[in-house]
Amino acid sequence: MPCERKPMRYGHSEGHTEVCFDDSGKFIVTCGNDGDVRIWEGLDDDDPKFITVGEKAYSLALKNGKLVTASSNNTVQIHTFPDGDPDGILTRFTTNATHVVFNSSGSRVAAGSSDFMVKVVEVSDSSQQKTLRGHEAPVLSVTFDPKDDFLASASCDGSVVVWNIEEQSQLISWPVLQKTNDISNAKSLCRLAWQPGTAKFLAVPVETKVHLYERGSWDHVSTLSDDLQTQLINVVAWSPCGQFLAAGSVGGSLTVWDVNSKLCVERQKHEKGFTVCSLAWHPSGSQIVYTDTEGCLGLLDGLSTSTSNTNTTKAPAKKAAKDYDDLFDDDDDDRLMDEGLSETNSPVKKPITGDDDDDDDDFLMPATGRVRNRGAILDDENSLDTGSLKLGQDKFGDDDDTGSVVVPAAAPLVPMRPVYEGPMPTAPQKAFQPGSTPAHLTHRFMMWNSVGIVRGYNDEQDNAIDVEFHDTAVHHAMHLTNSLGHTMADLSQEAVLLACPSTDELASKLQCLHFSSWDTNKEWMVDLPEGEDVRALCLGQGWAAVATSALMLRLFSIGGIQREIFSLPGNVVCMVGHGEQLLIVYHRAPGFDGEQALGVQLLQFGRKKRQLINGEPLPLSLQSHLSWLGFTAEGTPCYVDSVGVVRMLNRSLGNTWTPVCNTRETCKSKSDHYWVVGIHENPQQLRCIPCKGSRYPPTLPRPAVAILPFKLPLCQTSTEKGQMEEQFWRSVLFHNHFSFLSSSGYEIDEDGQSQTQKEQQELLMKMFALSCKLEREFRCVELAELMTQNVVTLAIRYASRSRRMALAQRLSEIALEKANQIQEEEPEEQEEEPEYSGVRRTSGYGQSEVTGERRSNRRDREEEEEQAEELREEEEDGQEMETEEAAETTKRVNPFAKEAVSSVTPSLTPIGKVGRANPFKVLGSGKPSSSSGLPRVTNILDNMTSSRKSSPLSRSAGIPSKGPVLKPLAPRPKTKTQSTLLQMNGTKAASKKTPENTQPAADQQKQPEVPPPASPADNTENNRPKTGFQFWLEENRKSITADQPDLEETDIIKEAMGRFRTLSAEERLSWTERAKGQTGDAADLKKRKRAGGGAENDNGQVEADENSSKKKKSLDPSSKLSAFAFNKN
Amino acid sequence: MDSSEVEFLAEKEMVKIIPNFSLDRIYLIGGDLGPFNPGLPVDVPVWLALNLKQRQKCRIVPPAWMDVEKLEEMRELERKEDTFTPVPSPYYMELTKLLLNYASDNIPKADEIRTLVKDIWDTRIAKLRLSADSFISQLEAHAKLDNLTLMEINTIRAFLLDSLNCMYKLRSNLQPGSSKGQFTDY
Repeated sequence: MPCERKPMRYGHSEGHTEVCFDDSGKFIVTCGNDGDVRIWEGLDDDDPKFITVGEKAYSLALKNGKLVTASSNNTVQIHTFPDGDPDGILTRFTTNATHVVFNSSGSRVAAGSSDFMVKVVEVSDSSQQKTLRGHEAPVLSVTFDPKDDFLASASCDGSVVVWNIEEQSQLISWPVLQKTNDISNAKSLCRLAWQPGTAKFLAVPVETKVHLYERGSWDHVSTLSDDLQTQLINVVAWSPCGQFLAAGSVGGSLTVWDVNSKLCVERQKHEKGFTVCSLAWHPSGSQIVYTDTEGCLGLLDGLSTSTSNTNTTKAPAKKAAKDYDDLFDDDDDDRLMDEGLSETNSPVKKPITGDDDDDDDDFLMPATGRVRNRGAILDDENSLDTGSLKLGQDKFGDDDDTGSVVVPAAAPLVPMRPVYEGPMPTAPQKAFQPGSTPAHLTHRFMMWNSVGIVRGYNDEQDNAIDVEFHDTAVHHAMHLTNSLGHTMADLSQEAVLLACPSTDELASKLQCLHFSSWDTNKEWMVDLPEGEDVRALCLGQGWAAVATSALMLRLFSIGGIQREIFSLPGNVVCMVGHGEQLLIVYHRAPGFDGEQALGVQLLQFGRKKRQLINGEPLPLSLQSHLSWLGFTAEGTPCYVDSVGVVRMLNRSLGNTWTPVCNTRETCKSKSDHYWVVGIHENPQQLRCIPCKGSRYPPTLPRPAVAILPFKLPLCQTSTEKGQMEEQFWRSVLFHNHFSFLSSSGYEIDEDGQSQTQKEQQELLMKMFALSCKLEREFRCVELAELMTQNVVTLAIRYASRSRRMALAQRLSEIALEKANQIQEEEPEEQEEEPEYSGVRRTSGYGQSEVTGERRSNRRDREEEEEQAEELREEEEDGQEMETEEAAETTKRVNPFAKEAVSSVTPSLTPIGKVGRANPFKVLGSGKPSSSSGLPRVTNILDNMTSSRKSSPLSRSAGIPSKGPVLKPLAPRPKTKTQSTLLQMNGTKAASKKTPENTQPAADQQKQPEVPPPASPADNTENNRPKTGFQFWLEENRKSITADQPDLEETDIIKEAMGRFRTLSAEERLSWTERAKGQTGDAADLKKRKRAGGGAENDNGQVEADENSSKKKKSLDPSSKLSAFAFNKN
Repeated sequence: MDSSEVEFLAEKEMVKIIPNFSLDRIYLIGGDLGPFNPGLPVDVPVWLALNLKQRQKCRIVPPAWMDVEKLEEMRELERKEDTFTPVPSPYYMELTKLLLNYASDNIPKADEIRTLVKDIWDTRIAKLRLSADSFISQLEAHAKLDNLTLMEINTIRAFLLDSLNCMYKLRSNLQPGSSKGQFTDY
């Protein structure tokens, strides 16, 4: 039932108003807060007659030429209508009457009052009064039973009461309303209405529904509701025919139901959404007039009801068709009209009735366009109505048969308008400047960022802007008069940017106070084109950006040159700049059910202009909106939503957003909030202003900044594991900016970076230790994959020390993999190199004072020293290295075979030394890093233990003082590769030691390069119980092979057996003794990687000083590792 | 002990300031201070706060107790109780004086605070005098007073000790000396 909503017009001054038609329907009569009753000849009547009835008029009723009003002098008076002569006072109350009504015949008036009473008065004889007492609060409304037996009233005490008028007694009472203490506090006026004519139903508005009570039984027989009706219903009114019920709500919606079918047939919305406080039907039933609490008068025209004849039904149908047509598409006017008038009456009904008439096609063809389809459906509603009223048949001249089918079928009315039950769109959030308080405040922060504060004052005396800098070194504070009415501001180290919206005369202006300019002109101003308003603005380094209502983004240089301009995909919400980055958030689409659908763009200017994030959705918490947007001081985008979740861009995970903090968690009370003003990544600080009981801080007293810590919302952060995981990932996340900064060419705090790396590795190691303790070896391996290679070696050692051989072996594989990876990456990725080399250098030089100083000095010396000296030292290094098996070393030896042989042959040196001395001699270039395997590990340990000792809080403080100074040691790729090789060996050694690997080295023998003699020696050494012969064999294998180089492995052993037997008994005994001692030694050493160190101790042949230093080194790690042992308590 | 010395001690108390300059951590004998970030509150000793304030390098955030409502409450309590009530800070008087003298523009309702603190001080000093009076008049050997601040003790120390000494002298002169005196007189 489409109807036309006429524009609202001014009726009375603000306040409660009432409206009714006169009996003929010719006049609209209103009363209002100004105490006047106005008589309008129509909605367009610009000069209504008025009758002044008092200071205020609360209610009016009109019947039979008598106008009854309730006015502020606590009386109910009569005036003649339409002349407006006073006709006496009908009754008085102790306070004002709230509602007056006539009965159907006009012989009686009922009035409810704020003094809890209802009076029923004969119009002809005001002395005949009946008083109905029983309400316990002001009476909201009254209504007569059309048959005059009863009277219903609603009261603030929450009850709706039906009275027997003659007996003056309560018949029944329903406690269905909300209790209040006064009319002014009542949520709803609760105007009751009794069905005219049959008087069967009493309609009671209860919240968002209308209850129908049946006369006589007084049962609640049905409820009229509408899914779209979300606000309290204020007034209800029956159509004169009694078939339709109109309701007006607090939110301004007008709804008409068909009572028989209980379906909503009409919905309209007050154009401004004001509360509808009165509504009345035209006696013909075709119009509804209504008034709102703002004193305006409105009219719905073109309603069709049972009383209207065919013509009136047709007319509105036509009108409606036109109406919608106009709305959507002018061109289709004619066709649509045709449809509306001739065919469309049936088509929608057809699916209902299951009738496949040929009209279907006619309808469907034009219905392809969405707009027309909609128009048709709307039309059909109308026709359905008429159909249901059995008036449609004669209209359907051309398809009688359809009509006949339709009419009976239509009796149970089907929902005419497909009721929309899906999610409702949310109002898009308005554009705002991050770091500002709402614009309606007289004293507000226009901007609070890391540079300073811009405050705006807009009260009677003053309209000014104060700019203040946190750091007075930037600029002194400024005070500007705000004659242009700026509402937006941004502040940077270079300039203040201000903007005002356009007014009637003036265009929207952008003003920039470029205080850092070196010339004398420190200010520029730009007018935006007409009709374009500044919505958001921001400053970057050397540029300013403005987003406008024309979906445009305009870039300016900081000096005022217009630069790039581009279009935005949606209405801007806010934007921020930092350095060369610009972050824009805009509306992607309408959101639903309280959500906002925002998109984000991140652009980078500078040399290489590019878009880093192009229009991806911005994730917000459920039912929240954006409340702050900004960059961290290091340049990582982040934002805060209205539920207090802070999210930060994770550049290393494909530009995803990670929640890093929930400010609400730290709030004491529900109404407290934190107003974020800045975020720093290093140190990790969330700077915000605690607001007690509000979302925004007041300008006075001056709020103080507080610092909140970050916390990733990981699971189970109460456990130690969860805590460490959270710490680790937070550390990783908050140091993404290093790689970003270095990749975009900024200098970075290398100290901080290396420190971070160390912290992360330390955390990993702790987690590793914890997992080890909890017997989670798989987890250990997973952790090891996150470690750098150096730390993996440390982990291997930890694992082997805690007798987890399987783990150690797996770890060694990982270490190997990592080493290979580094090797592969090195030539390709130069960018990554500083990172790795940084770590290495740190670990290489960050030694504890005691052991480190000397070592590094020595290493420096080494480079300059002569070959012989080097050789000696290398040997020591070699011993340190404890590459147990010769297989690996000899592999490397081969290319330099000549030299190797010369040094090897004469040596009758202790075990293991044979093979080891050589590789280091030939690998002269590799020497600086040769010691990397061990010293590095010790260094890391040193650092770690030292930082461990300091309390967690002071850790960050503790490290820097002790932190390694990065010496400008040029990274030598060559060295690096070799060092990794060495580490490979080291790890292999570890793997060899695991029991599984002790079987004869068939695989090793297969390796073409490996000289056969070396491997068995290696393996026999690893077999735990060594016999004297084996020992002897190890010692003498070289000489055997030297003598008979063409021997097979088995032959060598045979030969060796022979030779061994030839030895004297004493010698053999000494060898067995030695073997015993060795095995005993090996038993405890085998868990250590540093068997070489053990061997050294055994031999005791090396210089004393070197030895001591080595002992320290080889023993220290164990004690240090014990610090890592996880204590379960 | 001079009251200026007490004040000197009070200047070691920490107070929050909001610097308007940027400076790294500074390392002093008494401990490290800073780092100073513009706009970010940092705890510094009062002497430094005042120094910076006088050079207009910072804004002082008044201590939490330096608030009209809290002080009013305290004053009422102080008046109600016969004994000394605990004070918000052991140097409340000194801090109030120092901060209000040099940074009254950073402290909301400075005048009211000054009056309130003076009221509290007066009440306490009155109590102190009263107890000293009863101490002397009852010829007690010792007394215990809780919750006194250094400054309060200091104000009464000189006078009380001197007067006690005097009285002691007078008393000791009175008994044995009286005969002596009489001796010499005659």
